[in-house]
Amino acid sequence: MSHLLLERLHLRYGAAPAVADLNLEVKDGELVSLLGPSGCGKTTTMRAVAGLLAPSSGRILLAGQDITHLPPNKRDIGLVFQSYALFPHLSAFENVAFGLRLRRVQDSELRRRVGAALDVVGLSDLADRLPANLSGGQQQRVALARAFVIEPRLLLLDEPLSNLDAKLRLDMRGELRRIQRELGVTMLYVTHDQDEALALSDRIVIMRAGRIEQQGTPEEVYARPSTPFVADFMGWQNILAAAAVPDALRRAHPAATHFAWRPETVTLGHGTTSGRVLARTYQGEHLEYLLESPLGRVKAFAPTGAAWSEGSEVTFELSTERAAALRDA
Amino acid sequence: MAGRSLTPWLLVAPALAFLGVAFLYPVITLLLSSVRAQDALSLGNYAAFFSDRFNLEVLGRTLRVALVVTFISALICYPAAYGMQSVPPRYRGLVTALIIVPLMTSPVARTYAWLVLLGQTGIVNSTLIGAGLVKEPVRILYTEWAVYIGLAQLFIPLMLLTLISAMENLPRDVVPAARSLGATSLQSFTRVILPLTREGLVVGGTLVFTGCITAYVTPALLGGARVQLLATLLYQKAGVTVDYAAASVISVIMLALTLTVAGALRGRTGRTR
Amino acid sequence: MTSSRLPRVVLYLTLLFLVGPFLVVFIAAFGGEPTLKFPPSSFSTQWFGRVLGVEAFRGSFWTSLWLGLASTGLALLLGVPVAYALSRYRLPGAAAVQTLLTSPALVPGLVVGLALLQYFVNLGGSVYPSLLAAHTALLLPYVVRVVSTSLVNLRPDIEEAAMSLGASRLTAFRLVVLPNIRGGVAAAAVLAFITSFDQVAVSLFLTGPGVSTLPIAMLTFMEYNYDPTIAALSTLLIAFSVGLVLIFERLLGLSRYV
Repeated sequence: MSHLLLERLHLRYGAAPAVADLNLEVKDGELVSLLGPSGCGKTTTMRAVAGLLAPSSGRILLAGQDITHLPPNKRDIGLVFQSYALFPHLSAFENVAFGLRLRRVQDSELRRRVGAALDVVGLSDLADRLPANLSGGQQQRVALARAFVIEPRLLLLDEPLSNLDAKLRLDMRGELRRIQRELGVTMLYVTHDQDEALALSDRIVIMRAGRIEQQGTPEEVYARPSTPFVADFMGWQNILAAAAVPDALRRAHPAATHFAWRPETVTLGHGTTSGRVLARTYQGEHLEYLLESPLGRVKAFAPTGAAWSEGSEVTFELSTERAAALRDA
Repeated sequence: MAGRSLTPWLLVAPALAFLGVAFLYPVITLLLSSVRAQDALSLGNYAAFFSDRFNLEVLGRTLRVALVVTFISALICYPAAYGMQSVPPRYRGLVTALIIVPLMTSPVARTYAWLVLLGQTGIVNSTLIGAGLVKEPVRILYTEWAVYIGLAQLFIPLMLLTLISAMENLPRDVVPAARSLGATSLQSFTRVILPLTREGLVVGGTLVFTGCITAYVTPALLGGARVQLLATLLYQKAGVTVDYAAASVISVIMLALTLTVAGALRGRTGRTR
Repeated sequence: MTSSRLPRVVLYLTLLFLVGPFLVVFIAAFGGEPTLKFPPSSFSTQWFGRVLGVEAFRGSFWTSLWLGLASTGLALLLGVPVAYALSRYRLPGAAAVQTLLTSPALVPGLVVGLALLQYFVNLGGSVYPSLLAAHTALLLPYVVRVVSTSLVNLRPDIEEAAMSLGASRLTAFRLVVLPNIRGGVAAAAVLAFITSFDQVAVSLFLTGPGVSTLPIAMLTFMEYNYDPTIAALSTLLIAFSVGLVLIFERLLGLSRYV
C-alpha cells in the first residue's frame, strides 16, 4: 500500500528550479533514503513533504489524503534535523514532551510516553538536562525521540548523523534501524552518505540535479547501477566510455554509453591489456593500484602479498561478466 | 520557510503605518514648508536665512565644532581602543561598563557636571589660580571651548566602543606578525591596524559628527546665547521668536547634513543618538 | 603584547574624562552652601530632600516614567514583529522597510519635535499623544536593531521543529522563539526606556506649561536656580543608570547590544 506519494512535484528555490517533475512512492512501514550530493534537491524535497516549502506545482499525498497545501503543524509528520534543532531553553524531557503538550495529552499519559521514548533512545537518566549539557550523540537521540513520540504518520530525517564523529555515526546507524523496526514507522531519510543509505534503507532513491536518477533496493543500486552518475556514487571507480571497451562487450549491450568495473573485480597479473603502475597505495586489507593503460586510467585492488612496483608494466583483465552496462541519462 | 505569504507584510504593516502617520508625514510637511511662502513655491525662506550673517556664522560654527570634536575623538580613541587590548581580561567588563554608563546617563546630568567644573568658581579655575598660573578666573564657560569639551565627553563613548569592537575583530596575531617582520610598534599601527580598522573609524566618525550637529543640551548649557549652534538656533527661532520659516530652513539644513554624513553608514540600524 | 603602556594610559585618562565629572557632581550634591561650590566646604544631604520638594520635579518625573514605559511598550509591540519579519522572511523591499524604520534615528530630535508640534498640537491635539508618538518613533529603530540581533543568533530551524510537532507559527513564536530572545527583548526595553527617559531634543517643543518631562524640568529649573538641587537630582539619575547598567551587564551582557 502506498503511504506517501509525490506526484509531478516541482519546487523552485528563488528563480532556479530545485526539483523538477519528481514522482516518488513510499510504502507503509518502509525506510526510503533520498541519496545524492549536496544541491541535488533531496533536502528541498523533504522540506516540501514537511510543509516548510511550498511546491510550485504537483501533489503530495499522505495515506491517501492530499496534504500539498496543509500547513506543517497539521501534517502529523515528524522531523529530525541535521542540526537537531532542540529547544535550548527546555530540558530533554520537555523537548520530547513538546508535541504531546500541544496535543493536550493527559499528564500521566504524557509522562508514560515521554519516559518510554527516552527509554527507546537510552536517555532515561538524562531527562532533566538542558540540550547545552548533552553530547552531540545524546542531542541526536533527544531529537529522534521528540520526533517519534508524537507517533507521526511519517518520520523525516535530514542527514541526522552527519554531525556525529565516525564511530558514533556507526552506532547510531544501527540504533536507527532498530528503532525503525521496533516502531514500524515509515521513514524518509535524506543523506549524502552511500554507506549509510545502503545499511539502513529498504529502498534507495538516488537524486541528481533535482531529478531521480535511479531507485531500487540497496542490492540493486549497489550491484546494478544504471547510469555513470550512480555507478560513480556507488564506488564503481572504473567508468569507461563504450567506445573504449572491447567489441564483444559493446555488442552484448548495444544501448550502453558507458561500462563500469569495481576496482576489486579487476584482476592483475594476467589478462589481455597492459598498463603501467602510476601509484600504489596501501589500504590495509589490500593494495590499491592506479594504472595508465590504452583504455584510460584504471584502478585495481590486489591482495597485499602480490606487489608490482611503481613504474612497472602489469597486465590486467576487465571481465565481461562483472561489468555494469550504463546509460547516460 | 513557507512561501510568498502575506504574513511578513502583516507583521511590518503596523509599524510602517505608525511611522507614516506619526513621523514621516509631519516631518515631510515641516521640510516642505521651507520652500513655501504665502502658499506659493518659493526659495524666499532660504534667501532670508542665508542673507543673515549671524545665521551663516552659526552654520559655520556648527560645522567647525562637529569636525573638531570628531577629529579629537578619533585622535583620543585610537590609542585608547588599542590600549583596551592590554587591559587584563577580568577588568575589561568594568572598563566597558565605565564607557557605557555615560551613554546611559541623562545628557542634562552629564552636561551639568561641566557647569560645576568650568564655571568662574569651578574646580578648573580654582586649580589654575591656586597653582599661580592665572590671576583672574579664565572664562571657559559660554565659549566654544566649553562646547568642545562637553560634546567630546558626550560622544567619545560612541567612537571608543566602535573602535574597540573594530580592533577586537582584527584577525588574530596580525600585530605580532607585523612585529616579527620587523615593524616598529608605530609602524604596525600605521600599516596594519589603521588600514584594517578604517571602517570602524568611518562608522564612529559618522556617529560623532551627526551627534554634534544635532545635540541640543550641550550647546544650550555650555555655549549659552554667545555660542549658538544650529540646534540652539532652531530652538530660538521656533520656540522663542516663533519664526517658523527660518526654523523649517534650519531643519532642512540639519537633516541634509546628518543624512549626507550618515549615507556612509547605510545598513546599520539606529545607532545615532 | 610587548608594546608600550602609552595606549593603556590614554584609555584610563579617557575613562577619567568620561566618568570624572560624575564624581564632581556627586560630591557637589552633598555641599552645605546655598549656592553651588566645588569642592564644598560643608556637608549636607538637604538637597536630596529639596529634590523631592520641588513640585515641577515630582510631576515631570511621573510624566517621564509614564512616557518611558508607554513608549517602550508601544515600540516593542510594533518593533518585535518587524524584527521577526525581517529576520525570518525574504521580504521584497526589505531594504526600503529597513531604511524607513531607521529614519527616526537619522532625523534630528529637535526636527521631529518641531514637526509634531506643528502637526498635532497646532491642529488642536493634546500634548500627551504627540509626546508618546514622538518617543515611540524614536525608540523603534533601537528595538528593531537589538531584537533583530538576537533573532539572527537564534536558529530558525527550531521554529520549524516546533511546527512539525504541531505548533502554529504563532504558538512556535510564543513557546520557542520568545523564551530564547528574552535577553534581547529585555535589553531593547532597557535601552529604549533610558533613551526615552533621558530624551531632551524630541521633547523640547512638545512640553510647555503644565506638561513637562524630567530632563526639560531640570533645564528650566537650572535657568533660575544655582543651588546644588540639580547636583542632587543628577546624582540620583546617575545612580539610577549605573544601577541599570550594572544589573543588565551582569544578567545579559548589555554591551553586546549597545
